[in-house]
Amino acid sequence: MDIATRSQNDVTIVALVGSLDSKTSPQAQQALDGILAGGGRKLLIDFTALDYISSAGLRVLLGTAKRLSGAGSALRLFGLNETVREVFQISGFSVIFAVFATEADALEGL
Amino acid sequence: MRPGFRMTIGADRREIAGVNAALAEFADAHALPASVRRSLHVVLDELLSNTIVYGFAGREGGEVTVEAVLRADRVCITLTDDGRPFDPFGVAAPDTALPVEQRRIGGLGIHLVRRMMDEVSYDRRGDRNVVVLAKRLTGG
Repeated sequence: MDIATRSQNDVTIVALVGSLDSKTSPQAQQALDGILAGGGRKLLIDFTALDYISSAGLRVLLGTAKRLSGAGSALRLFGLNETVREVFQISGFSVIFAVFATEADALEGL
Repeated sequence: MRPGFRMTIGADRREIAGVNAALAEFADAHALPASVRRSLHVVLDELLSNTIVYGFAGREGGEVTVEAVLRADRVCITLTDDGRPFDPFGVAAPDTALPVEQRRIGGLGIHLVRRMMDEVSYDRRGDRNVVVLAKRLTGG
């Protein structure tokens, strides 16, 4: 998978390209760990080019969410396709994550 | 012969990539709906990584055969492995209503398989685990 990271003010936007599964989740984990270690507290994850996610990918998101709680921090997701949304619904992740349609929606109020 | 593919991989998670490539090619050749292809990628990742990590734990080698067949209204997938006896669908579903701090991922993969497929079954045949899945081409 490809992971592209950019910053906008104090928000870091991470675009995941390809699939987030047992093979690619260590790479995503490493990228997200790096952002958190660098002091990033407001994170937007761009799913627009993510084809699918399995439970290995959910584990990475959950770990990131657990470490990003507290004042001044945020984790928002946007651009989920139909299958990713289905995985989120089945796993209950659609309730615990802030999911938005577009980047503009996700940035609002951050 | 019905359209489909069949391949056998060893006890190495990196080999799942080969199955993903075969599935993508099969989906492309038969113009499967993207949602069907993606669902199959998810469930194959769950089941193959489970078998490789747990089913073959504590031993040398091991192999899993993946067979996909396209029927008129569905894709049928059969996974056959020579790992320890394990019925993935005999495991209780996780609590998906807990708050983030209490969430665990254990069991979630199989829960996804059960919910994303239209039919799932498990059988122990001789020294093999046989998991059969079906995904309809239309209507969720």
